[in-house]
Amino acid sequence: MTVLFERSARALLLVHAVLGFTAVFAVTHHAVSALLAARGRPVQRQLQCFGWMAPASIVAQALFGLALYPVYRVRVRFADLERTAPAVVQLFDLKEHLSALALALVIAASVAGRALQADAPVAEARSVAALSWCGAALVWAAALIGLYVTARHPVGAP
Amino acid sequence: MRELRAALWGVSAFSLGYLLPGTLRLPTLAYDPVARTLRFTAGVSGVAMRYYGDLLWACAAGLCAAALVWTSRRPTRPVAVLTGAALSLVALDVAFYLSRLLAGV
Repeated sequence: MTVLFERSARALLLVHAVLGFTAVFAVTHHAVSALLAARGRPVQRQLQCFGWMAPASIVAQALFGLALYPVYRVRVRFADLERTAPAVVQLFDLKEHLSALALALVIAASVAGRALQADAPVAEARSVAALSWCGAALVWAAALIGLYVTARHPVGAP
Repeated sequence: MRELRAALWGVSAFSLGYLLPGTLRLPTLAYDPVARTLRFTAGVSGVAMRYYGDLLWACAAGLCAAALVWTSRRPTRPVAVLTGAALSLVALDVAFYLSRLLAGV
């Protein structure tokens, strides 16, 4: 029995990890830029730039994660972690949910940030900053949990 | 700003659309990675997974809400209220999933 993408799981995991780091850095930069915009600093170029980098990297990372999920489910979760480390299974479930919510927040913050004008009302700039900071916090949490679970049992390993 | 309001409504609908199908056990797309089958069902068990389906529900809800607000001509609510509502719904989701983690440990 072979699970979907099982033979390329290691390569997919590597790409997923690299995109994950890219997403973490892009959303963090976006959050800092959004905060500076809320404080009245002229950072429209940064918001434009990270406004496409952050959603592009997080969507690409999510797609690779979704491709890896069946292999994780069968070869890691049910074959190992359910028996040896059920708490890690719960932790990974939390990571899935945080990633999904982060996806929505980062895309929303990026779309709104790209449309934010230099003379926009403070309430709008603060709203973009709040969306961006919450998205960045969830992305960081998901990345750290993902690294921990991968350190326990990476997909593609026996 | 129309983009911001659409984004905030989108986040609110995404949060609800993500939380409700799983908690209420609504029918969703379930993928069985062993049998390699995709079914639309409420009863997901064993190795089958409903994550793809729940994510699709949430994306559909978020996109529909954002599109409706984008095309709407109705008077809008203050941005601060919309932001508070959207982030409260996200916080509700996080609190729910965190409570399940803590209950399981």
